[in-house]
Amino acid sequence: MTITSQLSADGRELTIAISGRFDFNAHQAFRDAYQRQGASPQRYVVDLQGATYLDSSALGMLLLLRDHAGGDEADIRLLNCNVDVRKVLSVSNFEQLFVIA
Amino acid sequence: MPKRLTILIAEDSPVDRMLLSTIVARQGHRVLTAADGMQAVALFEQERPQLVLMDALMPVMDGFEAARRIKQLAGDELVPIIFLTSLTENQALVGCLEAGGDDFIAKPYNPIILEAKIQAMHRLRRLQATVLAQRDLIARRNQQLLDEHRAAKAIFDKVAHAGCLNAPNIRYRQSPRALFNGDLLLAAQAPAGQMFVLLGDFTGHGLPAAIGAMPLAETFYGMAAKGHSSTDILREMNAKLKQILPVEMFCCATLLDINPLQGTLRVWNGGLPDGYLIGANGQRTPLGSRHLPLGILSAAAFDDEFEHFPLAVGDRLLLLSDGVIESRNTHDELFGERRLLALLDANSDPARLFDEIEQALLAFHGQVQDDLSLIEVSLDETLAGAPLSVPLVAHRSRPIDWSAHFELRAESLRNGNPLPLLLQLLLQVNPLRPRAGAIYTVLGELYANALEHGVLGLDSALKCDAEGFQRYYELRRERLQALAEGHIRLELSIKTHDGGGCLRIAISDSGAGFDVAHALQLQRCDQCLSGRGLHLVRQLTDGFDWQADGRGLGVEFGWAAEA
Amino acid sequence: MSNAHLDSAVLATLQDVMESEYPVLLDTFLADSEERVRLLKQACQAAEADMLRQAAHSFKGSCSNMGATLLAELCRELEDLARREQLAQAPVLIESIEREFAIIGILFRAERQRLG
Repeated sequence: MTITSQLSADGRELTIAISGRFDFNAHQAFRDAYQRQGASPQRYVVDLQGATYLDSSALGMLLLLRDHAGGDEADIRLLNCNVDVRKVLSVSNFEQLFVIA
Repeated sequence: MPKRLTILIAEDSPVDRMLLSTIVARQGHRVLTAADGMQAVALFEQERPQLVLMDALMPVMDGFEAARRIKQLAGDELVPIIFLTSLTENQALVGCLEAGGDDFIAKPYNPIILEAKIQAMHRLRRLQATVLAQRDLIARRNQQLLDEHRAAKAIFDKVAHAGCLNAPNIRYRQSPRALFNGDLLLAAQAPAGQMFVLLGDFTGHGLPAAIGAMPLAETFYGMAAKGHSSTDILREMNAKLKQILPVEMFCCATLLDINPLQGTLRVWNGGLPDGYLIGANGQRTPLGSRHLPLGILSAAAFDDEFEHFPLAVGDRLLLLSDGVIESRNTHDELFGERRLLALLDANSDPARLFDEIEQALLAFHGQVQDDLSLIEVSLDETLAGAPLSVPLVAHRSRPIDWSAHFELRAESLRNGNPLPLLLQLLLQVNPLRPRAGAIYTVLGELYANALEHGVLGLDSALKCDAEGFQRYYELRRERLQALAEGHIRLELSIKTHDGGGCLRIAISDSGAGFDVAHALQLQRCDQCLSGRGLHLVRQLTDGFDWQADGRGLGVEFGWAAEA
Repeated sequence: MSNAHLDSAVLATLQDVMESEYPVLLDTFLADSEERVRLLKQACQAAEADMLRQAAHSFKGSCSNMGATLLAELCRELEDLARREQLAQAPVLIESIEREFAIIGILFRAERQRLG
């Protein structure tokens, strides 16, 4: 599991890329990725291109990010989900909270 | 830092023994010497040295045998054995290792290398001791945790009791540890005869999951017993979890509201795998997740829309936690949805299905899993059986003579459910308590009849097939949402007399009215979908009458005075 | 005192380690080795290959610890013969060992006198 994050040039969009298993072990790294000092992005992208697996604690982490990004006002897109990841997200109906593409 | 150890030297040659013990003693260690293997073993038992320097070839008992015995005596403790050897053949060196040797030192002895090896072995010894201490600590802590889980489970069972999970029409598989795996299984018989079943799966494991289960169970059982609707129970559970759980925690759940009297099933699934409604003929309807799990959305945003399905005797309901599908066996293979569906497809006798799933899981894993939950509810005649009664309170009954009128108008019809309140009121009357279930059932039927057929003008003929059934409940929802005018009036009157007493319930509504005699006629032959409404009301009451315009019905419950 | 018979570096270490006990070690070696040579001859006469091998092996170890390089090498050859059960050549080799041990005896006694 590796997590990297990249702030756009204008500082408005933070992209968090996750590869490998997105599970409880990612907790601290994922938190660190969006709690960067000094950054206050308006949009978030979680790139799941390399994510092979996602469990319920990963869903919990996404909820934490959503809370951090303003709750109902949060603008978060989940990109490049593979079939398995998409299935987990859809069973939980997370498309009601996130833009999933 | 070098440490002073007690070291046993087993060596038959006096020269080598003298040389070695001098070297070792000069390095600050306490030395014990033995001239053969037998002496070495005896000295070890007596003095428990921390390290052994052992010659391989000795009279009486050789070094290999002595090493084996010493390792056995040492048990879990690491007592390093360094073989003193001029052996050069590989086979002999292998023999030293097989006998339990940890290292070699070759003749002629080099004091510096010897001390380095002694200290290296001592470090290994300390490491082993640390590992053992930690192992024992972990074992103790784990035992403690299991004890605490047992105690916590006992408390949970007291608070949340088992509901009606032991009813004859329910089968379930859930380990006692399931609570600490985040799984929760609840079943309650509501006063009006419905059965509510909840399967929940909290994110995470251990104590946090178990703690969240507590208020959920209390809400579920408390509200079900008071006659609240499944919608109200669901909303309350969501609100409670939203309030107490940290942001990242939630509870995937399926709530079933099984109403055998009306022949309906209401299902709400947020985040759990498909459950199944399986007909007596094997026809299978998935009960899929349509909502976010509980504890995520605020009360305002929460979607409490249930799906409706017709139910008949012989139907079965199957719910499973994702532990079933996501469980892995020792080869790290996933049980998977495909395996489950294949099982369901292959089943020829629905009554055997539960056993078949259990057997398949056992065969797949080779042992019983403790992180999955499975429940089957079958609709048999017993489920539609006798309504509940509430125990009598101790005080003597006094004469009673009162009546109460209620009129519910559009806004209240849309959002409220007056029945729990009415039931609480009526249960103040001691002689009515044994018939609480019957009274509640009758109230429920009368109210539903007045609301759906009277105020909302719905035609129960719609419910003749499964599609129409869904349509019926969609219409109900739409019309209720749009309702601007209309009312239901309820009048309760109670009067005692010398010979006993009587409760009369009268209900009327703003609808167009209906031909009661005709409806009774129709429903008699309607076995399958829309239930037994008015017939049931007539069976459960001591008097049943209706107004000629069909807008009002009245029922009576009588009782005889105490002996 | 380095030659084909004795390794002076080993002896220096021994002296260093044993300090005042060094002469006692030399005496112990000489006394013990006489017994070991006797055992070698006994095993050879009885044609006990295994006993001969063990005795040679054990003697070899002590010799190497005492820096008696050539004597240790002769013991190793004898151990090899015994392992291969070629006892016919053993008596000649044992004679060589006795001769070499006699030389070591002279050298060690000289060493003792040197130390006083």
